[in-house]
Amino acid sequence: MKILVCISNVPDTTTKIKFTGDNKFLDTTGIQWVINPWDELSLTRALELKDDPKSGVKSVTVLHVGGAGSEPTIRKALAIGADDAVRVNAEPSDAYFVAGQIAEIVNREKYDIILCGIESSDYNGSEVGGMTAEFLDIPSFSSVSAIMIEGGAPVLTREIDGGKEIIATECPFVAVVQKGIAKEPRIASMRGIMSARSKQIRVFEPVQVEALTEIDAFEKPQPRAACKFVDPENPAELIDLLQNEAKVI
Amino acid sequence: MTRQIIFALTLLITLGVFYFTIVRIVRFFRFTRPAFPVRDFGKRFSLMMKVAFGQSRIFRKPILGLFHALVFWGFCIILFGSIEMVIDGLSGTERALRFLGPVYDFIIASGDIFAVLVAISIIVFLARRLFFRVRRFEGVEMKSKSHIDANISLTLILLLMISLLTMNTGYVGYNHSEGREIYGIFPVSSILAGMMQGFSVRDFLMMHEISWWTHILLIFVFANYLPYSKHFHVFMSVPNVFLSRLDPLGKLENMESITREVRLMMDPGTAYAPAADTSPGRFGVKDAEDVTWKNYFDSLSCTECGRCTEVCPANITGKKLSPRKIMMDLRARMKEKGPGMVREGRGFDDGRSLLGNYVSEEELWACTTCNACARECPININHPSLIVDMRRYLVLEEASAPGELKSMFSYIENNGAPWQYPADDRLNWTRDLKFRVPVLSELAGRGEKPEYLFWVGCAGAFDDRYRKVVRAFAEILNHIGVSYAVLGKEETCTGDPAKRAGNELLFQMQAFQVIDLLQKYGVRKIITTCPHCFNIFKNEYPGLGGDFETISHVSFLNDRLRDGSLRLSGSSLKDVRITYHDPCYLGRANEIYSEPRALLKAVTGDLAEMKSHGSFALCCGAGGAQMFKEAEKGDQEIFIRRTADALETGAEIIATACPFCMTMLTDGLKYKNREEEVRNMDIAELIAGSL
Repeated sequence: MKILVCISNVPDTTTKIKFTGDNKFLDTTGIQWVINPWDELSLTRALELKDDPKSGVKSVTVLHVGGAGSEPTIRKALAIGADDAVRVNAEPSDAYFVAGQIAEIVNREKYDIILCGIESSDYNGSEVGGMTAEFLDIPSFSSVSAIMIEGGAPVLTREIDGGKEIIATECPFVAVVQKGIAKEPRIASMRGIMSARSKQIRVFEPVQVEALTEIDAFEKPQPRAACKFVDPENPAELIDLLQNEAKVI
Repeated sequence: MTRQIIFALTLLITLGVFYFTIVRIVRFFRFTRPAFPVRDFGKRFSLMMKVAFGQSRIFRKPILGLFHALVFWGFCIILFGSIEMVIDGLSGTERALRFLGPVYDFIIASGDIFAVLVAISIIVFLARRLFFRVRRFEGVEMKSKSHIDANISLTLILLLMISLLTMNTGYVGYNHSEGREIYGIFPVSSILAGMMQGFSVRDFLMMHEISWWTHILLIFVFANYLPYSKHFHVFMSVPNVFLSRLDPLGKLENMESITREVRLMMDPGTAYAPAADTSPGRFGVKDAEDVTWKNYFDSLSCTECGRCTEVCPANITGKKLSPRKIMMDLRARMKEKGPGMVREGRGFDDGRSLLGNYVSEEELWACTTCNACARECPININHPSLIVDMRRYLVLEEASAPGELKSMFSYIENNGAPWQYPADDRLNWTRDLKFRVPVLSELAGRGEKPEYLFWVGCAGAFDDRYRKVVRAFAEILNHIGVSYAVLGKEETCTGDPAKRAGNELLFQMQAFQVIDLLQKYGVRKIITTCPHCFNIFKNEYPGLGGDFETISHVSFLNDRLRDGSLRLSGSSLKDVRITYHDPCYLGRANEIYSEPRALLKAVTGDLAEMKSHGSFALCCGAGGAQMFKEAEKGDQEIFIRRTADALETGAEIIATACPFCMTMLTDGLKYKNREEEVRNMDIAELIAGSL
């Protein structure tokens, strides 16, 4: 059984986001790029499955759609334990485009389980997983919080309102995973880092898929107003502020 | 002549058995790894004189220490007589060393008195073991074998002293009755012989002969029993002290194997080259063959006295860690695996290992690296370095660590701080200050070079409480007109929490990055308000090429106070009782005890000490990366215990000088519902308030 883990290259979650070019593009200067946190968790789960001889998982491949600049992130995934990596050499313009590229690779290389994080922490589109399954005409499962493989058969747990849904399915399928899929992201061991240096990253040129969307502009949320402290001995000031400034009473 | 032959044969058997035993132990050293080089013999000699012969560590418990010191000194003196007995036994002479004259008289007289003092001490020790419940003699590692072993050794020593006294009494009595000359002076035995009025010449002779043989045979038995018992320290402790690591306790060795890998990774030419065929050995310590020769030497020297475990903050709050157990485990594991390695080489695998079958991960993750154990050990055993070496195995080889620590590693890797905050916010603490805090890149842009770099640290930049401390410190710097600058957004974690959590790779990546940056700016002197950053700059960066003069904020302030450049205009706290909590990384790690106290005495007239302070101080519980994880299971949190110590002094202010101690003690005050009456403040804040 072969697992494909799709990874996004996203700005570190503490990054102060800035835009350029009429707020149409992300300003990438000084950004530290990391593996999308949800993808990191799916990679962790995929490796856990591979570590368990009963699962029948033989290999874990990571796939990334992006330029050569994202290779450090791919190496990180290899260091954490992925067996090999595929990079589609194209800027990920929108979810439809990326899903099309992933589907092409899956068709070419035949993976049994395709894992996507529930969203990427940069654009939060939450679309690639479902679209990929449509391209491939295979089932997709959203909000997956656990994947087990029992006797060769995958069993998925989905988070639903007020409870859990447990589904038995067959390969191939796409699982769109959320937090809980693995307890915490696996870190790279020294041997992992050393061997990642020489693991193969295969690069494919993109296939023709039209992007369906175009970004008009980004807008940052209003910064939070500063907190005002009122002396506890002075309730009149508090009442005044609530009445005249906040206008809530 | 028959007597000499019998003696020679006995001695030969003794030496033969001893040789056999020692060879069996020593042969395992070849499976150990190299440690620090043994140089500076002058320093080592004076350390040996102080710690071993001066018993300085033993005297940290003054009363019991005295009893032990008497036994130790007694042994040294009595050894002289034992050597003489061997000469006499082999050559048939009587008191062969008597030609030494007055020196001989002095040594023999001292030995005669020490025999009584040692006997009394041993009776005290036996009584303590048999009739009192001494907490440090208990613990999971203390099996009944350990107790029996101790009692056998003590009994043997007691018998040795009794036989020595009866031998001397017989000698004095016989020679006196016969009118023969007595060689040596016997203050105690002369009295004893005088008391034995009814004894005939023959009785005294018999007494001497029986005692002589009993004494020497007991020595032979004792010498051969020791290597199989915890009392092996009789042989091992003096060399172990002589071979001590001479660096400050706060220093953890840098791993050279990791330095090689980091250099490969950072060099664009080799960053993506395949790993070298000659794979380095295991990273960190998993089993007996991964330890250094010094770790093994330490384990052989350990007396199981439990002074380390008794002061271990993890152990006394009910956690599984016991530093003594770590040493005993290593000794036992080497004994178990060593013979297999002798047969089949280093690759021998019995399916067991030190880490796992002897030491659990839970024990390792409980350590705060406070160095109380290493500071207390009477023979300079270093437990924390071995504990961290085992953490290194877990992290570097198994990629295993408590979840919170894995997150901490990711934060350092991604955003350069052990918490999830952006580097862009690193100067937020300077907002609203009435003066501008100089930033190094801006000064460099203008071609200016400040004298000091003020290293703010991640807590100073991001922790709400400690931001106030670095603001106070900057106010002082500004007030006395120091030429300084901060790195601001360019600052990043020094790698301390990663290193102490076993992630040497991440530490060195951070360290090389920081060193490059500081060298780019030509930084020479660093002042820091964080003892953890201070320790790592002072002790661990030099080995990676980062030689900076590093000064902790308390030392800096104390120097300014003494040279008069820092003048306090009068403190409002003159009558306020203040107690000082020693941060481990200033105190035990780097021996900074008096500077903070001198500063506090400038602020208050009522400095109260906690029951454990200075080098005895209890850790706050946050060191060794504990700050970033939940405490291991125990019956109490360390910070609560330490807060209780502080509150016991009746102080209104608990002063400290470390961001982690600050967090822990502030939490402790909240836990005890005392945050209204008692304040927790950094020394910098107290000084800034008295400007």
